Amino acid sequence: MKPRPPSITARLPFRVPFLPLAMALVEKGAEGFGYTRREGGGLVLAMEELFSFYVRQAAADSAIDIELEDQGYRLALTLAFRMANPDLRAFNLTWHCNLDSEESLTLLGPMIAARSVSSLRLDFGAGEQVILRLTRTRDYPEAQPVPLPPAGLGGPLRLLAPSLDDLRHFAAMAVAAAPPFLPRFLSRPGMAADMMGAGHLDALLLEQGGWIRGGVLWRPLTDSCLELYGPYVFGDDPEDRGLRMLLDEAVAGISRSAYRGLVRRQGVLADYERFFDLLGDMPLRGREGTVRSTCYYRQLKEESSGTVYCAEPLASFLAGQYDRLCLPRQIRPAAGDPARLRVSSALTVELEHARSLAVIRPLCAGRDMVANLTGHLHLLRGEGIDNFLVELDTGRSEDTAFAEALAATGFVPRLVIPDAGQGDLVVYDHPAAEASA
Amino acid sequence: MNLEALIPEYVRGFQAYVPSKPDHLLMREYGAPMLHRLNNNENPLGPPPAAARIIAAFPPDRAAVYPSGDSYDLRQALGKRLGIEPDRILVGNGSCEVISSVIKAFCQPGDNIITADKTFAVYEWVAEFSGIETRLTPLIDYAFDPQAMIDRIDRRTKIFFICNPNNPTGTYWTRQMLVDFLEQVGDDRIVVVDEAYCEYIDHPDYPDTIALMDRFPNLVVFRTFSKMYALAGLRVGYLAGTEAVVEAVRRTSVAYSVNVQAQQAALAALEDDQAHIAATRALVREGKELVMGACRELGLETVCNEGNYCMIRTPINDMLMYRRLMKRGMMVRTMTGFRFPGWIRVTLRELPVMADFAAILAEEVHAVRLGQGGAA
Repeated sequence: MKPRPPSITARLPFRVPFLPLAMALVEKGAEGFGYTRREGGGLVLAMEELFSFYVRQAAADSAIDIELEDQGYRLALTLAFRMANPDLRAFNLTWHCNLDSEESLTLLGPMIAARSVSSLRLDFGAGEQVILRLTRTRDYPEAQPVPLPPAGLGGPLRLLAPSLDDLRHFAAMAVAAAPPFLPRFLSRPGMAADMMGAGHLDALLLEQGGWIRGGVLWRPLTDSCLELYGPYVFGDDPEDRGLRMLLDEAVAGISRSAYRGLVRRQGVLADYERFFDLLGDMPLRGREGTVRSTCYYRQLKEESSGTVYCAEPLASFLAGQYDRLCLPRQIRPAAGDPARLRVSSALTVELEHARSLAVIRPLCAGRDMVANLTGHLHLLRGEGIDNFLVELDTGRSEDTAFAEALAATGFVPRLVIPDAGQGDLVVYDHPAAEASA
Repeated sequence: MNLEALIPEYVRGFQAYVPSKPDHLLMREYGAPMLHRLNNNENPLGPPPAAARIIAAFPPDRAAVYPSGDSYDLRQALGKRLGIEPDRILVGNGSCEVISSVIKAFCQPGDNIITADKTFAVYEWVAEFSGIETRLTPLIDYAFDPQAMIDRIDRRTKIFFICNPNNPTGTYWTRQMLVDFLEQVGDDRIVVVDEAYCEYIDHPDYPDTIALMDRFPNLVVFRTFSKMYALAGLRVGYLAGTEAVVEAVRRTSVAYSVNVQAQQAALAALEDDQAHIAATRALVREGKELVMGACRELGLETVCNEGNYCMIRTPINDMLMYRRLMKRGMMVRTMTGFRFPGWIRVTLRELPVMADFAAILAEEVHAVRLGQGGAA
């Protein structure tokens, strides 16, 4: 087991005079961990804006817990504090600052914070705890060109547990091979190697005649689910021998890990039945036509059950999917009272310009969910985005509360990824991007 | 409270085993009309008649009194049966307890054990959550590979675990293979041979490990009353070794861990086992023929050797086949956790159950091949 990464933690009084100390902790911490001013700067700014914004709503004598962790390829900043009704509106991509509105100006801070980091996640803990998790990834150079294996290589195929240098080289080869689906971390070989060094990525490579012939990678998608990338095989692979070797060994190797599921969300995998369940696929529209993103799943533990609280139309969709996949799940009607929702909902958006893709995830539900989703669609279309996915976690009532609003705005549930969130993950897409939402 | 700081790193990284839920919950969750457990290699005949009578007539007032702390009477009977002194036997709460005792007795952090990658997982688990390294070697032709195990020895290697016959592949080392291995290992390390399924084997070349202990004092044998003797619910297992080895292991064992009813039932089972063993072997033989025949007709590969179980290669991933069979009331063991992705293991039970299983398996396989239902 890898030792925990180095971190700095502090519990500060959640009061304005402690803001400089909180900022200095992040700034000096990032510097100490060897990050550039540009890399650490986004987190310092986020700290300033979030602290300044929420300190106004904080109860007297409350505290804020700060943890800055160096994960090698990124800095992770966690802020935790207690607050009954935190204002999360400004995390929305659609939030625009209105210079004539004092409230709008006030909300400028969280908006800046959300845009100055690589990722932001919000969790609600017990006792009205709000946990904000922010990361800033190092800046990595793009892959340098490397040669791919020549055709007609002889000798036996061999599996290899890669060193960091092996993985770096493999990533550069994967970029050179230009497969239809390449995760972003592979397009930056240094990042892939640092992720593996941090224990956030694992891989198995295939070797033949002194050449790396392929590989398969996996990393945690959530605490309970791994995502698989590949297998990538460079050159001919008669009877899919290399592919099967990689998958057999990878699945056998991770089968005794703590994870409950393994997901693969790339293109079609031939003869997948021995390894995966087919969850479904989604069309991704691009300038060069439509490609289908196919999603496969493999359960890793026999025990898999759960209860989902949700309303129609999501309940019927889930019932159909659970039946098709033979998954033991109880679906119970949600007792959500719209009147008890917050005024404003919040969404996060992950943009992938290369695939013209926006992945939208609920942060919190609110009475404006339809308007908020509509606003996001308009804004993202304006940015030239063609594909919109929404990921909804059946284990979070804040997420399932969005089901009706998603239906009202034209989103259609396409597939369920078991155990990929606190519960299962329902993936929606928006089939008619040009339709009014 | 900073719980993380209290927990050793090797425990922090370990994932607790999640046993299956009770039948009534599983049936409700899967909407199964009935449930046949073909997952734990239990004996459907139940305990030998004498043991069954002891269990049925167990007087409640005996529950108020502690059992014999070292299973005295049972050890006497086992000693007589095995032809060794009772002090060379240590009884535990299932053989899982004696696995733990052996590792605690001989290993400390920095040491390692060697076993196969595709075998009973408890050796590996106990070592891991005790901070002991596990060195895993691949099987060869579905059997433990003696040379691969020897190749992994270093100065910190303390114990070998050999599951004989192997669960889940049913392969076994013959007497000659075991002797060759023991000679190569020498006497600086403990060699544990787990014979949980030995009573299912009726071959003359199966090793008499008790007899080999005179020549190889580092040899330790595990046996259990859970499988052939059908006392899995009472948890009784034991180990046998030389007096010196057993004395060392006893230091790390918990006395009084085997309850009084379990001790009495095991004792009775030993005294009345010949017809029971013969009947069980016949049942397994018939079940094996039926399942292997059904799989042949379906074109499914099997690994079906010794023991009361068979491995079947499924046309879809084993977890999905498990769920499909669960919906039909057949609970098998997926082999992903045994590092055999794409296989299931089926306990061989009485013929009517095996016939039902074969029929349901055939329906599911046909449905998969026709692309009907499920996720395949």
